[in-house]
Amino acid sequence: MELLNFILIFAAGWLVLRRPERERLAFGLLVASSLLMAALFLIGARGSILPGLNY
Amino acid sequence: MNRNTLYTILTAAVLALLIGPIGVAVFVLGFVHGDSPCVLCWAQRTAMVLVALTGLLIVRYGPRPRYIGMGVLISAFGVYMGLRHSSLHFARDVGQGFSAEILGAHTYTWSLFIFWVCLVMMGAMLLAVKDGEAAGEGPRELRPPGRAALWLFLLAVAANMVQAFASTGPPPFMGQGDPVRFSFNPRNWVWSTEEWRPSPVSLRGRWAIEKPDVALAPADPAGSPLAGVPAMTVSRRAKLALPLNGPVTDLAYDAASDRFLLTTHNGVYLTDGTLGRVIRHTVVDVGYSVDLARFSAAAFLDSRTVLAMAENKSYVVLRESDQADAAANYRYFLESPGAFQEASRSRLTTVRAKMMYVMAAAFDPAASALYTVTVPNAASKRLVVSRFDRRDMTLAEEFSPALAEGGPLAFKDGAGSLDGFYPTAAEFHEGRLYVLSAAYSTLLVIDPVRRTVADARVVPGLSKPSGIAIKGGELLIVTEDGALSWAH
Repeated sequence: MELLNFILIFAAGWLVLRRPERERLAFGLLVASSLLMAALFLIGARGSILPGLNY
Repeated sequence: MNRNTLYTILTAAVLALLIGPIGVAVFVLGFVHGDSPCVLCWAQRTAMVLVALTGLLIVRYGPRPRYIGMGVLISAFGVYMGLRHSSLHFARDVGQGFSAEILGAHTYTWSLFIFWVCLVMMGAMLLAVKDGEAAGEGPRELRPPGRAALWLFLLAVAANMVQAFASTGPPPFMGQGDPVRFSFNPRNWVWSTEEWRPSPVSLRGRWAIEKPDVALAPADPAGSPLAGVPAMTVSRRAKLALPLNGPVTDLAYDAASDRFLLTTHNGVYLTDGTLGRVIRHTVVDVGYSVDLARFSAAAFLDSRTVLAMAENKSYVVLRESDQADAAANYRYFLESPGAFQEASRSRLTTVRAKMMYVMAAAFDPAASALYTVTVPNAASKRLVVSRFDRRDMTLAEEFSPALAEGGPLAFKDGAGSLDGFYPTAAEFHEGRLYVLSAAYSTLLVIDPVRRTVADARVVPGLSKPSGIAIKGGELLIVTEDGALSWAH
């Protein structure tokens, strides 16, 4: 899944560099990648969503 | 700040992010040293790349509010990720951590700092933007530094794609909790879907420990894991008739002064040798400084010094005084600020008992040692005796007692456990630690030298016992509601 995320990011970067008129798509890819990144982290941290500290 | 200055600073920041944490992580730590990110590290690294992409969007299209908003959101989530990830290792001994370290700090702790710097930089740049300037423009023609930053960005992302493919594989495979070291050799690649497996979702994880409750302990001795435990004889029963401010939480006795010590959830009471009259008392402000929560244990440290301990192993040491400055003591006490001087208020730290509360404590004056005994909880079922040195109140020893070999005790099924006992009271007497368990209404006699349970007795007719004391060869038991029993 991390590979998929970097593919999305690469595509966004490529659009910014080579197809700057596709700004909306590049930004959409940024948002999608951010959501995927957060989801992957929360999947990995679901055993304790809050930091594992003495509350 | 004019636009060109803003773009120059942003380009420099993106380059720093790419050459620094992102580049070092993938090229140096990954490709050179074989370090592989865990599933949480991958998300943190991805977030850094996304922050860099946000900066490049601004460089290309101008400071549109949605770019700034995304940058702040990703960085804020990055701070959370850094704290959440680092918290797995914050409390370890010095130098211990997970995987590689940079400049003496492990990689996941650096991310906390990096995302915080990103937030600070964004705030500083927003301060420098004039009213109405936070708006976009058509795609700008990139200057050489901006173009270089974008090419470098693509190179760094491509390198991460290579590492992600080797370390985590294509979807649906994803990062692992304990990844193997990176290799370009496919024979060494491990692709896993372990993180997709169903597992409990929790807010606080292992730290969600329920508070102790004596009412949860099964009092019936028939449920005890020990076989044939003889019963004590209760010679007398009575009821406390003292003006206490709540249920009794512990009892201790000092033979030298022939006085008893009683505690309630926040009260400390010294009584005469008959438990008929309160000689001196105070009510501690348990919310001042150290959180003393609810007193559950008490002990005489000497004839004029007492200790009251909370379930969370925080404690206060009080010294009797007739010259106490009531005005100065306002901060410590809710009642009778002139009756005691507070000598110390602090916390005991344990290792084996770390995730368990205590309801029993006893003091051995000969060895100047304080003992605590744990109560089990849903996550940790273990009887742990902790010994602390009185001089520095630091842990000196911890053990889980076993049955004494060749002793009078045996488990019913031959291989039972003492972990179901629920100690709510303790007393040290003549080299033995006497521990009363509300579960199975059983008194355990622990030999602290051999770390064994040398003997045990059932105490009939007990309900919610909270304290014990030994006076004149008799065991005195008090319950939460003030019922007294003398047993031998």
